[in-house]
Amino acid sequence: MLAGIFSAVIGAFRRSIQLRYVALTVAFSAVALVAVGGFLSYSIGNGLFHTRVEQILQESKRATLDVQNTFNSSGATDVVSLQVLVNAVVPNLEQNVASGSRRVALLRTPNQATDQFLQSPISSTLVDSDIPIAMRAKVAKTENRLVYRTVTLNVSGNMEPSVIVGSKITIPIAGQYELYLVYDISDAQATLDFMQSTLAFGGLIMILLLGIVAYFVTGRIVGPVARAAQVAEELALGALDKRLPERGQDIVATLARSFNQMAQSLETQIGELSKLSKMQQRFVSDVSHELRTPLTTIKLAAEMLEARSGELDEKAQRSLDTLISQVARFESLLSDLLEISRYDAGAVVAELEPNDLNTVVKLAAAGLEPLAESLGCALDVRVPKGEVIADLDRRRIERVLRNLISNAIEHGSGKPIVIEVGQSKSAVAVTITDFGVGMSRNQMDRVFDRFWRADPARKRTTGGTGLGLAISLEDTHLHHGWLQVTSELGQGTTFRVTLPRKNGGIFTESPLPLGETLSQRKIV
Amino acid sequence: MVQKVLVVEDEELLNRQLCDMLETAGYEAVGSLDGVNAMLAFKSFNPDLVLLDIQLPPTSGIEVCKQIRAISGVPVIMLTAKTDDEDVVAGLEAGADDYIFKPMPSFKVLQARIEARLRPKPVPEVNELVIGPLVIDVLGHEVRRDGVRVPLTPLEFNLLQTLAEAPKQVFKREDLLKKVWGYHYDADTRLVNVHVQRLRSKIEDDPDNPKIVVTERGVGYKAGQF
Ligand SMILES: Nc1ncnc2c1ncn2[C@@H]1O[C@H](COP(=O)(O)OP(=O)(O)OP(=O)(O)O)[C@@H](O)[C@H]1O
Ligand SMILES: [Mg+2]
Repeated sequence: MLAGIFSAVIGAFRRSIQLRYVALTVAFSAVALVAVGGFLSYSIGNGLFHTRVEQILQESKRATLDVQNTFNSSGATDVVSLQVLVNAVVPNLEQNVASGSRRVALLRTPNQATDQFLQSPISSTLVDSDIPIAMRAKVAKTENRLVYRTVTLNVSGNMEPSVIVGSKITIPIAGQYELYLVYDISDAQATLDFMQSTLAFGGLIMILLLGIVAYFVTGRIVGPVARAAQVAEELALGALDKRLPERGQDIVATLARSFNQMAQSLETQIGELSKLSKMQQRFVSDVSHELRTPLTTIKLAAEMLEARSGELDEKAQRSLDTLISQVARFESLLSDLLEISRYDAGAVVAELEPNDLNTVVKLAAAGLEPLAESLGCALDVRVPKGEVIADLDRRRIERVLRNLISNAIEHGSGKPIVIEVGQSKSAVAVTITDFGVGMSRNQMDRVFDRFWRADPARKRTTGGTGLGLAISLEDTHLHHGWLQVTSELGQGTTFRVTLPRKNGGIFTESPLPLGETLSQRKIV
Repeated sequence: MVQKVLVVEDEELLNRQLCDMLETAGYEAVGSLDGVNAMLAFKSFNPDLVLLDIQLPPTSGIEVCKQIRAISGVPVIMLTAKTDDEDVVAGLEAGADDYIFKPMPSFKVLQARIEARLRPKPVPEVNELVIGPLVIDVLGHEVRRDGVRVPLTPLEFNLLQTLAEAPKQVFKREDLLKKVWGYHYDADTRLVNVHVQRLRSKIEDDPDNPKIVVTERGVGYKAGQF
């Protein structure tokens, strides 16, 4: 709980410069105020106390003199008249006081040669023990001088700060006495307390005000910076039209102005770029659309001619065949281009549904059986028993497989082609292996590039464009899957498609091997 | 009886080519080059089927399709160079029964689609089917709800009839493509989805919460149980 609050506070400090500076200001000014306040209250207190003590000592001196004179000049020699004199001392002194109140005790110095025969008078609220023993000893030893002590006395339950002033009085015949005058200085203490609390209160208010001032001052400086930070963040997140307000001529305004200039050029450039790429994508897509209608006409016309091919001579027949095959090639190039432009425009969404991969593979292979037969190679399809269900966009995966199988047939030198399906808990995979021309390391690195073909002059039966694998790669990536290749020049090639079983599922390993050397996997 | 096909296509050469081939194949074909003429030709020629290009100036094929649907349930097959999904779906939602991309694989494929739309249904075994609040008059090709006729296109009627004939059976989308559209190869199952939506909007009380044509998740559709 406490640790939680602590870390929350630390976190707030980390995040807010303003909070840090306000706290720093408050801390420094608090230290300064405590120092100044302490010094002030100490010296004022001292001053107050000294004046008061000075005054007390003056009064005490006069009183002591009066008392001593009274005894010296009385000439009384009998006990009774002496006692009368002694008794009068206390009420006299209690009354004749300039400021405040004063209590009085006239005590006989202990341990004298003669016996005590006079009573020691003392004010009613005062007791002997209020006078510290040490003071009494000091007074007894001190001649012609006043001795004083500051003490706190218990006066009927109240603790009163007091000053006791003591002096020696010699009473004829009766011997050595000590006169003690006790002054209540709680009025001075009260003044001091009041002053101190005023000082403390004033200090607190001062700190608070300083905090508030620091808050506003740092706010004026941090505010624009914070705004700039926020706008920069929004800009980074793609809100390219965000700007800072530009006011005044100061450094903050300069910051805002140059920031805005930067944002402006960023926006212009990004706008330009995305306009260009949109235009280009549109262009490709428009071109392929516009070409479709005349292509349809040509194709239908050729088909009409084909239906009458019996009426053509051999040369015209060959021309017609060329026409038909080239129209087909043109058509596939067009649809590949359109597909790529769709991917570039980010306009492709997968329609993932549970499908049986075995069925998809078998369909794709069956569709290419005529091509395989014409090149004299066998398609060896090996699928696990039962169904291999995975979330697939069936149309796209079938297209990927068709391209991989037709590539294998084309480059397989007429040798058999192995198509294998595998599955694990998290993934499904298909490998397509041929034992034909194969590829070098360099060729393998470029095989997924658009329009790339190992040997452009190589005889092509299906009229390749070099877009097939580029599209296959996009299709597998759309499924968050892998499309990988391994190949050896003159030995053959394996392509492997690995797809997550569930949409959004994660897999770390393909159910089928790829790294195995092809020679080990020679079929019987 | 010779069947009549109206070809609506703005590219003159393609239009003529299509008409020629249709006529060679034994249909009576009339071409029309824009949307306005198409509606006039539709009313005077009274075709059995319409081949409709989507990109037509000035009124688009989708608009023409809506106008045709407003007055008739004649099968409409869209021709489209647009392969973007929204265009296909927009065309189907406007009431087209089927679509074919330009360039089609061959004229034979187009012809097969046309024939599938024109083929008369086999003589039904029963005259009347009941599904929930709907009464399907199989012979009269009519659907009534509380005695009121619900206007359905022939394709929608076939779809509903197919489901109602086997009330316990769940039909996969591929099955329906085969039975209702006459496709014997793999085709776009969105055809089924869009037409089921259109059908529902005509017959269900709450099309978002259908009772008559029920979706069987991951499989397909079946008739609701009442
Ligand atoms: N199994 C393979 N064996 C050897 N080379 C291959 C194999 N598969 C692909 N290639 C090389 O990679 C190139 C690119 O293949 P890709 O499928 O992208 O294009 P294509 O087959 O030429 O044309 P298309 O766009 O019609 O598929 C091929 O031209 C070929 O040189
Ligand atoms: Mg290829």
